[in-house]
Amino acid sequence: MKIACVIPAWNEEKNITKVVTGVAPYVQEIIVVDDASCDRTSDLARAAGASVLRHPINRGQGAALQTGNDYALQNGADIIVHFDADDQFAANEIRDMIAPLLADQADIVFGSRFLGKKSNFPFIKKYIIMPLAWIFTRWFLGIKLSDPQNGFRALNRRAVETIKINNREMAHNSEIQTKAYQAKLRIAEVPITVVYHDFGQKLSGGFKIAKDLLIHKIIK
Amino acid sequence: MLQQIIALIIILFFIFRLLDQKNKKEINRNEFSLWFIFWLIAAGAIIFIKQIDWLLQFFGFSLSGINFLIYLAVLALFYLVFRLRLSLAKLDRNLTEVARQVALNNKK
Repeated sequence: MKIACVIPAWNEEKNITKVVTGVAPYVQEIIVVDDASCDRTSDLARAAGASVLRHPINRGQGAALQTGNDYALQNGADIIVHFDADDQFAANEIRDMIAPLLADQADIVFGSRFLGKKSNFPFIKKYIIMPLAWIFTRWFLGIKLSDPQNGFRALNRRAVETIKINNREMAHNSEIQTKAYQAKLRIAEVPITVVYHDFGQKLSGGFKIAKDLLIHKIIK
Repeated sequence: MLQQIIALIIILFFIFRLLDQKNKKEINRNEFSLWFIFWLIAAGAIIFIKQIDWLLQFFGFSLSGINFLIYLAVLALFYLVFRLRLSLAKLDRNLTEVARQVALNNKK
């Protein structure tokens, strides 16, 4: 069973070595997709042992994830973990994330910050942005997951082949969740911890996600 | 009357520009036809503005013909912006696919 970890990265020279070396014990291959960084992200990731793909121009996190998915499928990955390059996720939780896939109890596993484990949420994010995101995904997209915006997820081969990410920026989170529901994949949620080093997605980012989802619903 | 003549001169200018672009092969036949018909309709609407007034009154509208044309133009602009936005989104998606293929091919 080959497990690959896809890490989209853009100007992450500060964190990428730590993230790659942290993830290495839990997966067979680490695929860093450098989204046209201006710094040494590619070199450092390669030196840390990752396979590095590089976009010639910046295309966004969703696009980088799909590039990583395509590469992982080409290279025979059975399980693909999506992991952020900003050192906010705990690498040892990859074991918990892939457990339902290994036991064939799920096709896709979403990490959740709201299932018991404590994350150091910024106040506005916890009490304003997340509830709004939760209402939007539940009412407009019909997604009934506890965490509407989480980049830590694990997918089996079938799920990766089924879900083609079209939203090239941050709306890919909701897109993946929606497509997982539409394709009737077996979905599981696993509690994870997120350590915030900065604020991350702002309220304006949330509105942009909603707009991107709408546009991608119109164009086919 | 003066306004109508000015408007027709402006339309004539755009038609000449269009013919020039066609002669220089900057636009294809379909695009030329589309814009040529558009400017002919615009010229027709200006020439027959009184008849449009009458038609609107006949159907019970209180607005004048020129106002009607302006509303119509705004609607057309909104639609064109919407179409433009969709085609940009498609271009954007294609660009992403090209960037992806470059990244994957360079890795081989």
